[in-house]
Amino acid sequence: MAKVTVDGREVVVPDNGNVLEACRIAGVDVPHFCYHPRLSIVGQCRMCMVEIEGMPKIQASCTVPVRDGMVVSASSEKALAARNATMEFLLINHPLDCPICDQAGECKLQDNAFAAGLPVSRTSEPRRQYPGYDRTGIGPHVIADMTRCIQCTRCIRFCAEIAGTGELTFIERGGHTIVWTHEGKVLDNEWSACTADVCPVGALTTKDFRFRKRVWWLDKARSVCTGCEIGCNISIEHRDRQVFRFLPRPNPDVNDYWMCDYGRFRAEELNAQDFTRPVVKDGGSTKETNWGDALERIQKAVDEAIKAKGAASILVIGSANLSTEENYLLNSLFRTRLGVPNVEFVVDNGALRRIKNPKAEGNQEGWLKGLESAPNSRGAVAAGVTRALSDSALEKLSSGKFTPAVLYVADAAFAKKASDPAFVQAARKAGFVAVHARTKNALTEVADVVLPVASLSGKEGTFVNSQRRIQAFSIAIVPPPVVRTDMEVLLHLGKRWGVFDTRWTAGDVFELLKKEIPLYADAERESRAVAGYPAVISPASAYDSIFSPEEAEAKLIAAAAEGRNG
Amino acid sequence: MSQKKSGFHPAGYEPVLLARLGKPNSRHIDGYVADGGYSSWKKILSGVKTGEWTPVKVTDLVKASGLRGRGGAGFPTGLKWTFVPPKEKRGGKPVYLLCNCDESEPGTFKDRLLIETDPHQLLEGMMLASFALDVKHAYIYIRGEMVHGAEYLNEAVSEAYAKGFLGTDIQGSGLTLDITVHRGAGAYICGEETALIESLEGKRGHPRIKPPFPAVSGVWSSPTVVNNVETLACVKHILDRGPDWFKTLGRNEKNTGPKLYCISGHVERPGVYEGPMGLPFLELLALAGGVRGGKKIKAVIPGGASAPMLTAEEVQSLPLDFDGVAAAKSMLGSAAIMVMDENTDMVKAVTNISKFFAHESCGQCTPCREGTPWLNKMLKRIVAGQGKRQDLDLMLQIANQMGNGMTICVFADAAIAPVLSGVTKFRSEFEAYIAKSAALDYQLPAPAAVTDKVAARVAEGIHS
Repeated sequence: MAKVTVDGREVVVPDNGNVLEACRIAGVDVPHFCYHPRLSIVGQCRMCMVEIEGMPKIQASCTVPVRDGMVVSASSEKALAARNATMEFLLINHPLDCPICDQAGECKLQDNAFAAGLPVSRTSEPRRQYPGYDRTGIGPHVIADMTRCIQCTRCIRFCAEIAGTGELTFIERGGHTIVWTHEGKVLDNEWSACTADVCPVGALTTKDFRFRKRVWWLDKARSVCTGCEIGCNISIEHRDRQVFRFLPRPNPDVNDYWMCDYGRFRAEELNAQDFTRPVVKDGGSTKETNWGDALERIQKAVDEAIKAKGAASILVIGSANLSTEENYLLNSLFRTRLGVPNVEFVVDNGALRRIKNPKAEGNQEGWLKGLESAPNSRGAVAAGVTRALSDSALEKLSSGKFTPAVLYVADAAFAKKASDPAFVQAARKAGFVAVHARTKNALTEVADVVLPVASLSGKEGTFVNSQRRIQAFSIAIVPPPVVRTDMEVLLHLGKRWGVFDTRWTAGDVFELLKKEIPLYADAERESRAVAGYPAVISPASAYDSIFSPEEAEAKLIAAAAEGRNG
Repeated sequence: MSQKKSGFHPAGYEPVLLARLGKPNSRHIDGYVADGGYSSWKKILSGVKTGEWTPVKVTDLVKASGLRGRGGAGFPTGLKWTFVPPKEKRGGKPVYLLCNCDESEPGTFKDRLLIETDPHQLLEGMMLASFALDVKHAYIYIRGEMVHGAEYLNEAVSEAYAKGFLGTDIQGSGLTLDITVHRGAGAYICGEETALIESLEGKRGHPRIKPPFPAVSGVWSSPTVVNNVETLACVKHILDRGPDWFKTLGRNEKNTGPKLYCISGHVERPGVYEGPMGLPFLELLALAGGVRGGKKIKAVIPGGASAPMLTAEEVQSLPLDFDGVAAAKSMLGSAAIMVMDENTDMVKAVTNISKFFAHESCGQCTPCREGTPWLNKMLKRIVAGQGKRQDLDLMLQIANQMGNGMTICVFADAAIAPVLSGVTKFRSEFEAYIAKSAALDYQLPAPAAVTDKVAARVAEGIHS
């Protein structure tokens, strides 16, 4: 560790750190473009200029490794003049049309121009144009506009160093430099949209989000991606009860700064809501009804089945898509209270998802890998729901060897099996079928009762990822009227047998988990007061608080410095 | 002025580097050996086992000679060699010697002459330097445009292999050395040593952040010494004749040895001239036959396009060596002396040089990438009769914002030198252009290429 004085403040910086990181740890905001904590240092934007005692020339702070006893003036007149000079150079060719640029509002050039730029432009030369390289798709997800590019090479380094695919490069030279794909290549890797994340300006934007919503209107909620078992930390960005996009939320222990395109572009799928009221089958026809009626029918069917055939005639299907809290309530109600032995779940293996994070616990050759296509199989198991094996009731149902009197499915899309015609046919043979559902599928077609539930964006709870890390997600959007979260449905259903209190929140259920599930014993839940968002900090993770900026930022930067080689 | 052809060196000076110029087949090994070539290398090959010759001894000789790098910076060569970490601190990494033959500085053509007329001189210098630095593999990075030079060098290298001056266990001495000739692609920036290293590694020629310096981590992260062609050729002569002889050629202790001067521009006989370090400018000008047509000098660029310009008064008693030119607030650089006569339009001259730098900027650092074309655009506008009153001060301000540590390498400092010196020393000429300027309320037309493109897109319905 090295002691560095920045503008009179002494801070301790890891040995591998650089002066820019020292400044940020000291809380001095040195503007920069090309520096990124996870990418190699190139020092070419020349924005982060500072004065360092003992060095006669002005220095790009990101290129200077810290030394013990270093004294840095980040806000001296000379440093500010140098940064103003760089801003002027960047702006002489950058179009000054922020109102029609989709990056406006989250553009580093715009921010720095407001913070430090000159109030007037001294150039009267024609601005550089890139005919043929403007507003052009360079891959399935990314649109490039070179007129806005500031040649910081973050995207090039992302593709080369993180994705390892190296599609992007500089072409031409000097003032004509263009960032583009190598000839004959397209920007098509598993994480291509991360290039738009790292792009400080509007040169790279994603096709899906481009011109959909001005970013300052977006509200953010901390959440966790449900695309696979890695559980990338995400921010759900929404407005007017509509989800617009996911952005990766930096967490050095899990997804670092990245997320894959598959997970990212599932965002708008959350807006689908086919069922807005409970639906029941009455003598062959379906009708919408109220919650009281729907839950009454389920209670009646369950009670009758237990009386007539015993609790073993009931099959309850949980899900690895549900939070641990929800699986726990499901298990408490059916297995503990009603004595149903068959509370099971099944999880699919999907395409292999990968996130580069060599420092993360459980990485394999630098990658976190996710095979299961659901986020919470470990939480479901911890909650007591049984993983369905070949001799399980769920498998027997699929093969026609078991016909339950009541089939209760807590997630209509629990696995691919749910839309398999053979399974649906077998399920239909059950005496009574109840499902929680948001969107229509083959299973909801045959159900006697469909309970409308909210998407991930309307729920809160915790998932346990492949590293056995407990991660909280919070509510982004209040669900539409009448639609309830899975947890509320289970609480109201449980109340009918006198087990749950309908006033319980996810936090209350979390306290129960702490008492009853060993995995959760040491987990800490932050108070709601912190930035208005609940968060679970499992013992090893201190990075969940990206929305309480200074402290988290300092931790992230320190982690970045520690992780860099040389 | 006399049109009589005189020699390429001052009277009484015995040429060293160009001694074999004009001999038939001067570039082939037989002639070279017949003229006493490879004698120093043979001395070392036979003396290494007996311990008579050690790497330290060679380095000490070079240090004692006061040889300074001929590529432009004038850094003491022997001192540069001592920056390479000793064997036990290298962690098993090899040391590489790179010969910088990417001669691209406008006005410089001395290295090309050396490799095209006497390549074995360079090879022997490289062999001696490789011995001093414990190098097993040396590279010659040659500028892409020098097609013949590369051909001749390759020929010379194969001849040296055939004669047993290169290879494994050379002549039973236990020494190993391979030399590879690598052709660049013609970028000016690849003459900067770290950009040269990147280019040799197969990457874009982008200068690296220093430190680490190449002597510690250069090509393939190994200790690397980069030396100019002329520097390495001098090493051969130091070993042949000793450092004391070397020091006798030169103005003082710090500026020693023979030097090639490339004189071009408005002189009667532009070309390469050899003389001792510190040759007075006027003497060189006389060798080159004086200013063309007997005109007066207006300006002189003493060290290639990146050196600040000097006025006629400033060159009157100018000794052409590193310290002498530095004292006149310019630099000897690669000793590319460009003479401009009284009829020269300095505005156009500066514009031309700025165009070169705008074209050759590598594009890494913002101030250089954006600043060099900006300066060029302003100059072009002034030449086109569209100058504005504030342009000159703005140019000086912009230029001052680009150099002095604002960029990774010194390209930006080189690019602003002619603008700063030109605008400062010949300001009245720039002001004359601006005084004639047609429009002070000058309006910019949108470039047709762009408007057409947008129109086409609107027609296609994909304008977004």
